[in-house]
Amino acid sequence: MNESENMTREVAAPVRDNAEVEAALNRRYEAGFVTDIESTSLPPGLSEDIVRQLSAIKGEPEWMTEWRLAAYRHWLTMPEPDWAKLDIAPIDYQGVSYYSAPKAGPKSLDEVDPKLLETYEKLGVPLHERAKLAGVAVDAVFDSVSVGTTFRKELAEAGVIFCSMSEAIREHGDLVREYLGSVVPVGDNYFAALNSAVFSDGSFVFIPKGVRCPMELSTYFRINAMNTGQFERTLIVAEDDSYVSYLEGCTAPMRDENQLHAAVVELVALERAQIKYSTVQNWYPGDENGVGGIYNFVTKRGDCRGADSKISWTQVETGSAITWKYPSCVLRGDRSVGEFYSVALTHHRQQADTGTKMIHIGKGTKSKIVAKGISAGRSSNSYRGLVKIEKGADGARNYTQCDSLLIGKKCGAHTFPYMEVKNPGAIVEHEATTSKISDDQLFYCLSRGIGEEDAVSMIVDGFCKQVFRELPMEFAVEAKKLLEVSLEGAVG
Amino acid sequence: MTSAPSPFVRAALDAAAALPGTGIAWLDAARRENLDAFAAGGLPESREEAWKYTPLRALAQRGLALADREAAAALAVDAARLALPGVDGDRVVFVDGTFRADLSSLTGATGVSLEPLAAALARNPEPLRFALANRYRHGAADAFAHLNAGLAVDGLVLRVADGVAATKPVHVVHASSGTQPDTSWHVRLLIEVGKDASVDVIEHYVTLGDAKQLGTVVSDIVVRENGRLGFVLLQDASSATTLVRRNHARLDAGAAATVHALELGGALVRHELQAELNGDGARFDSRGVFALAGRQHVDTQLEVRHQARDTSSDALWRGIADGRSRGVFRGAIVVAEGADGTDASLSNKNLLLSGQAEIDTKPELEIYADEVKAAHGATIGQLDERSLFYLRSRGIPLVQARSLLTLAFCRAALESLPNEALRDHLGELLVAHLPTGPAAE
Repeated sequence: MNESENMTREVAAPVRDNAEVEAALNRRYEAGFVTDIESTSLPPGLSEDIVRQLSAIKGEPEWMTEWRLAAYRHWLTMPEPDWAKLDIAPIDYQGVSYYSAPKAGPKSLDEVDPKLLETYEKLGVPLHERAKLAGVAVDAVFDSVSVGTTFRKELAEAGVIFCSMSEAIREHGDLVREYLGSVVPVGDNYFAALNSAVFSDGSFVFIPKGVRCPMELSTYFRINAMNTGQFERTLIVAEDDSYVSYLEGCTAPMRDENQLHAAVVELVALERAQIKYSTVQNWYPGDENGVGGIYNFVTKRGDCRGADSKISWTQVETGSAITWKYPSCVLRGDRSVGEFYSVALTHHRQQADTGTKMIHIGKGTKSKIVAKGISAGRSSNSYRGLVKIEKGADGARNYTQCDSLLIGKKCGAHTFPYMEVKNPGAIVEHEATTSKISDDQLFYCLSRGIGEEDAVSMIVDGFCKQVFRELPMEFAVEAKKLLEVSLEGAVG
Repeated sequence: MTSAPSPFVRAALDAAAALPGTGIAWLDAARRENLDAFAAGGLPESREEAWKYTPLRALAQRGLALADREAAAALAVDAARLALPGVDGDRVVFVDGTFRADLSSLTGATGVSLEPLAAALARNPEPLRFALANRYRHGAADAFAHLNAGLAVDGLVLRVADGVAATKPVHVVHASSGTQPDTSWHVRLLIEVGKDASVDVIEHYVTLGDAKQLGTVVSDIVVRENGRLGFVLLQDASSATTLVRRNHARLDAGAAATVHALELGGALVRHELQAELNGDGARFDSRGVFALAGRQHVDTQLEVRHQARDTSSDALWRGIADGRSRGVFRGAIVVAEGADGTDASLSNKNLLLSGQAEIDTKPELEIYADEVKAAHGATIGQLDERSLFYLRSRGIPLVQARSLLTLAFCRAALESLPNEALRDHLGELLVAHLPTGPAAE
């Protein structure tokens, strides 16, 4: 142990005694403010009563309550997963409040607490006026309740349903009942079962046959109250020949204790439908010593049910103390296409174990995976992916590329790809590399008078370009900025 | 987990109870300890990550006695059958895990000491104490390593003295008699290559009869500073043989080891190849091919740990699965903190030739240092249609064209073997194993 530490010291680049770097190192999490509004919460703890109470508060129909209870009972029988390369402090599931909502129940956007709107202003979410300017329809989830949905009318004209999950359960019960849990069954995994039992809100999107959603849909999640978990549930159904692009952004205020976030996202693409799902995740990552931060356990899965359908996941993961997330595609329909583009950045003590699963079932199915991992500080960043070609998937094709970039001596970058092929007509390819930022590239930038920080962020930007290209414009800009902020203080 | 022990475990414990003590207190204690560990854990199950693709349910139901040593010692074996071209040095033959002096030749050139394990223990056990009483460093939880440590009564101690370059390769033959149904045998190898020394070792697996048997072989290999080891593994057992093998190599500063592996036979074969690069500048290269048909199941687990500076490793593995076979490959590269200057690469390509066959591959990178170059690539696919078409357009029949391309596909893995006669022989064996018919259709 001592030996390796000595070695490390010998080769470490001279630490720059630069006040600027110091300042950047101590830079605070920009979205880390707490909004002071009254909220109603359920007492901490989880039991059948809590689940019933939660369901009652939300005025849910009987079937929904039963569905939740079934999930809860199943959850009780499951062990916590421990296979990921994550070091997780034990989670006290009884110490979490499973519901928190702003007290004054909002009726419309105009009635929304101005302080809340201010929060979104600070975050730069164009909720009201700015929504129109940006042309983005936003369904903002504040702690557990959807506070207002913009652009309802415009979407309704196109026949698109875009509303909070609670509303969908009340008003589009049949649709929800048909699709909810059909991609991620209640007992799918530990966190999905927990979510199924206690999910408080989320978004519901339904794109009818032949409709191309006229604008990009967006949700912004924010965990505000103390000791609350956020368990949102998103369901997107795209009927035949439809198209939708959905954006999701997440932040949380700074707190010393860890907060739990266990979401489930289900996508259903019917024949020739296309769903594009983009995420920028910037939950509070904890401080440089690993105190606090969000535990982010997310189950995301898309089902290409119809022939020629396509589901594309793009994610930029810079936040959270722990990320456990594998957006997947089940390629059931013939010639359906799955894509996964990911940038995962970890710094300080962050841990990420993220990747994807591509399950090829239909004939001529194609999938593409591009994953970029960047680790700095003392963080640990793993790609874990599965490409599975089932017997009937004639002519299936997969291409996977995983690159890792290491910045610093104490971080880890890992790649665990699984390839399981049962069809001799399939072609599966995987490539991965790990390296640090090349000295040549850095030297070149420095010789052109570009500062080290800027050079690193340029090189990192280039490293991620393939993924950023897949993001909608506004998000790409935000993602780039996020990366820069997250990496500050990582070099030197 | 702690349900009733499987028939396999019960039979192994019974077999161990019947073994005579060695008379060496520390060795008996070590055996007992390993058997206890084995009994506590039982055979690994598929939900354990390392055995995810290799189910042992069928094996767990088989109660295997230890192969009878007297019968193994008396079995008539045609020594010519064991010979390999280009391998004309000393030969050490084990039949069902029992050393056969009559089939072996242990002249031991100057500086090369070759001794059966049982004989070495009887003569002077103390020098072997560290290796045999020491617990496994990693993979300590592996059931088969414990089983082997508890049941292997024979094996080989090979030492090459400092500065000695052995001119002739050492040929180690593990023969399954195939005449003792439902039995198991266990062999332990200890190989030490001294400073600036070099040696070539050929580990050779054959089966002589048709009976179903299980063999486990664990080799502990140490290559001292600037030593060099060339290791060839030829596994040509029958489809009745189950083999679980582990080669664990530790390399000191400047040491180099190269492994060439050809897996052709076996019913269920597990091969764990582990290298620890503990000294600066150590190098480990591995090359391997498996060609499977029928219901064969071959699982190769390669793990290279870079634990010192400026170490390098290169791995190139090819797999072919036909019939109802299943090929499993895991290739892990681990770069420890402080192992700067590491240069590691791994390539694993597979051909899946049948709709009933399956290939599962998992290249892994686990990296804790930043001055590192590490890359891996893996593919699963078929023969290139255009190349096939080209050959056929030149008048080469389909069957032959397939066989040519398949051979070319594997060639890269074997062509770096310096022993030309042996290399050609391996090539011929491979060709004979390749599917001849248009099985893919």
